[in-house]
Amino acid sequence: MTTPAARTTPFVAEASPAKEVPSKELTDVAVMIGGQGGDGTLTVSDQLGRYFRKRGLHVYSCRNVLSRIRGGHADASVRACRAPTAAMKPEVDLLLAFDEEAIEIGLAELASDGLVMYDSTSFQSKVPNSFGFPFAMTAGSQLGRPIYKNTIAYGAISVLMGFDPVVARSVLEEKFGKRGGEALEKNLKAFELGRAAALERPELARRWTVLDGDAHGWVLTTGNQAAALGFVVGGGRFFAGYPITPATEIMEYLARYLPAFHGVVRQAEDELAAVNMIIGAAYAGARVMTSTSGPGLSLMTEGIGHAATAEIPIVVADCQRVGPSTGEPTRHEQSDLSHLANLGHGEYPRFILAPGTVDDCFHMTADALNLAERWRLPVILLLDQALCQNTVTTKPFEMTGVAVDRSNFLTSGDVANLPKYAAYQLSENGRSPYAPPGTPGVLAQITGNEHNEMGHVSVNPVNRVKMMRKRMEKMVHARNELPGPHLFGDASARVGLIGYGSTFGPIREAQAELAEGGVPTRFYQARTLFPVPVDTLGKFLDEVDVAYVVEHNYTGQFARLIREALPHHHAKLRSILKYDGFSFRSPEIVRVLRGGPA
Amino acid sequence: MTESVKPVASTWCAGCGDFGVLAAVKKAAAELKIAPHDEVLVGGIGCSGGIHNFLETNGIHALHGRLLAQAIGVKLANPQLTVIAAGGDGDGYAIGMGHFIHAFKKNASILYIVMNNETYGLTKGQPSPTARLGYEGNIENPFDSILTALSIPSHNFIARTFSGDPKTMTAVLVEALKFNRDGKGFAFVEDLSPCVTYNDTFKEWREKVTDVAKLPGYDPTDRKAMFRLCLETMESGKIPIGIMHRPANGEGAADSLELKLLPDRTGPARADITLEGNRAAYDKLLQRLT
Ligand SMILES: Cc1ncc(C[n+]2csc(CCOP(=O)(O)OP(=O)(O)O)c2C)c(N)n1
Ligand code: SF4
Ligand SMILES: [Mg+2]
Repeated sequence: MTTPAARTTPFVAEASPAKEVPSKELTDVAVMIGGQGGDGTLTVSDQLGRYFRKRGLHVYSCRNVLSRIRGGHADASVRACRAPTAAMKPEVDLLLAFDEEAIEIGLAELASDGLVMYDSTSFQSKVPNSFGFPFAMTAGSQLGRPIYKNTIAYGAISVLMGFDPVVARSVLEEKFGKRGGEALEKNLKAFELGRAAALERPELARRWTVLDGDAHGWVLTTGNQAAALGFVVGGGRFFAGYPITPATEIMEYLARYLPAFHGVVRQAEDELAAVNMIIGAAYAGARVMTSTSGPGLSLMTEGIGHAATAEIPIVVADCQRVGPSTGEPTRHEQSDLSHLANLGHGEYPRFILAPGTVDDCFHMTADALNLAERWRLPVILLLDQALCQNTVTTKPFEMTGVAVDRSNFLTSGDVANLPKYAAYQLSENGRSPYAPPGTPGVLAQITGNEHNEMGHVSVNPVNRVKMMRKRMEKMVHARNELPGPHLFGDASARVGLIGYGSTFGPIREAQAELAEGGVPTRFYQARTLFPVPVDTLGKFLDEVDVAYVVEHNYTGQFARLIREALPHHHAKLRSILKYDGFSFRSPEIVRVLRGGPA
Repeated sequence: MTESVKPVASTWCAGCGDFGVLAAVKKAAAELKIAPHDEVLVGGIGCSGGIHNFLETNGIHALHGRLLAQAIGVKLANPQLTVIAAGGDGDGYAIGMGHFIHAFKKNASILYIVMNNETYGLTKGQPSPTARLGYEGNIENPFDSILTALSIPSHNFIARTFSGDPKTMTAVLVEALKFNRDGKGFAFVEDLSPCVTYNDTFKEWREKVTDVAKLPGYDPTDRKAMFRLCLETMESGKIPIGIMHRPANGEGAADSLELKLLPDRTGPARADITLEGNRAAYDKLLQRLT
């Protein structure tokens, strides 16, 4: 791009650069792409991710966008490595910057031996190890539209990282081939322009070689997509929601998936309607879910309490973001747990499940439907922005482990054999089988008012006590059915880590780093948060001297719940907290365990 | 026969207008031979909303203002059910106003009966959205549901009845339920249902109600004409009752929400959700991930 010749010769032959530096081999590489919203930072991240996947590498990518469509700084990061990962690399190796602000912001993430590639169309950077290319100018003058700067940059990176050009091109062919004609042709041209420009810089060309991996056949997904799929296979057929970041994609995926299964997805007029629509549908016998985030959760709170008292099985996915109020819509936090554990006025049972990986999202959403229906209560699926929206490669989801348990559901055949059907029949464990409306021969009255076994309003004090116990003790009787923890690390370690949700990835990486440094740890990945799993967590705490609860909030919400449930372990618990809107990076955890400041 | 829930005796004050609605709903359901187990009554919160306890049918007592959202959820989950939502004017036009407007637009085939008594009966007589100026110190203008309903372009059934005339009311409910059962969409019936304890308007309403069908220019398929007719009737100090809107023959025949979503009327509640029955489709779905 620096000489007119290069500009007019898009397809240059493979030329060996004059003074080639020996290529450095990488097994774990991260690239951050920054610019203005609308610059298409995601495009480059996507193209790189596709290339890496073709090389059998595991990919993890995240984005940092503002809650608007155009303008404002935006960046995307993509990591590729040979080992499975569920976290962003602590430092990025390459920063691709489309403007000066992106350099300023990105430098904080850049490794000390990292490189910067930037668009020199309108400025020159003095940052060491930075390489300017007039991406936008070239795109404008050669291809007629500045937006092709993305693919030009992709071409330049492909040279830096020693990509196989045929494979790198095939990414574009697959991506733009469908749109045919011009889009593909221009992108291929852009790619070659980028390659040619980079090949002219011997200090850049093939500086790195990213080694291939063996993760072939793995699929790329997000927690939101996995939850949507888990909902379908778990028999979920009715979904109502109201758009809110970072929960919306669950609704969008289900709008695509469910119609083929006699399923219904509705965008409601607000969260009050959404939660009440699923309550109505669940009452009618469908398996249901809604998804929301902080502000919507607040509006749904009345409905969730109603479902618990009326014993209507609903699943609510809370895709946490920075709160309270509108907070930071696109940023990450885990600060709804205290609210959820105490959700609503009055007292009622609820289960709070927290998937930590996309695989958990898939399986635990299906589990949540079974648990809600078996116990006739609200189940909260507690997700977080990073888990919901970051993309990650995973083994294809398997149906093994997925079950559809309708044992609490009465068919017309079942009820015909009963002398009496009472929708709120008292029982040992608080469970009462349910026959939905339309079941011949029986009727039911369902209400959020206190009621007797038949569902008639009752303020009888003896009945009140019985009904309270029936509902509340579900949390005791169901304990063994709730998803158990996953335990990782050294089972004899005296130092424990406790986490849930997307902290799974950073904690696992921190464990590996600590183990290398001679600090063995064990990790309790909590998958049921409420009721607090006192048996497994108590045993875990019995066996360690100290346990760090890693979470994204100010007050240490899970640690507080644990202290309340297991007060004798109070002194062992420490908190590692982060609430700046971004996910943990493993060194932030490692540092604390090595005695640094929390 | 399996024993299950039976209706309880009503808890309403003697003479309450809601009795008229109860009687008319029973008669209409009987006339259409709706099996009790195939009917769901979604009650609101208020004196009126207790109606589901007094009927031999399935009932669900919704949250205050949320009965329409729940009723639509029921209908979409199982379109084969006859779904009636019934509640008060406070429930529907105050706390539930958002859902009220959207129900016309959504157009699911459910019947919504609002028992309008121009007051909050259950909380002992505060002004409701339809309360007239001066009632219990009310200084806000009363809301009119029929004019609002007529202003929303959708293929709905819209009517107003009077509890003091249960015969006409039954006839209107039969029409409304037929409209629903044919899958034509949302039916809204506001019943003038006096609260004899906090706002006894029986005598006044009996004098003022005017059957629009008897007025010159009555044409329930013509929204514009009906809007004018209702407004003029109101301006003359009368209260228009009767069927205010229904689509012309053939118009909006399959415009209901449930039929657009579920043409064969098999909804989420009746779908096969077994793993065996869906194995191939699930495999295909999961294979879409790459
Ligand atoms: C969220 C909420 N707010 C307030 C109440 C208290 N409340 C119960 S019934 C009612 C008003 C009832 O008036 P209306 O809907 O007109 O019914 P009516 O009793 O007149 O039939 C109110 C405010 C409640 N149950 N829930
Ligand atoms: S208070 Fe009014 S609305 Fe309530 S039952 Fe009595 S008369 Fe009817
Ligand atoms: Mg009222």
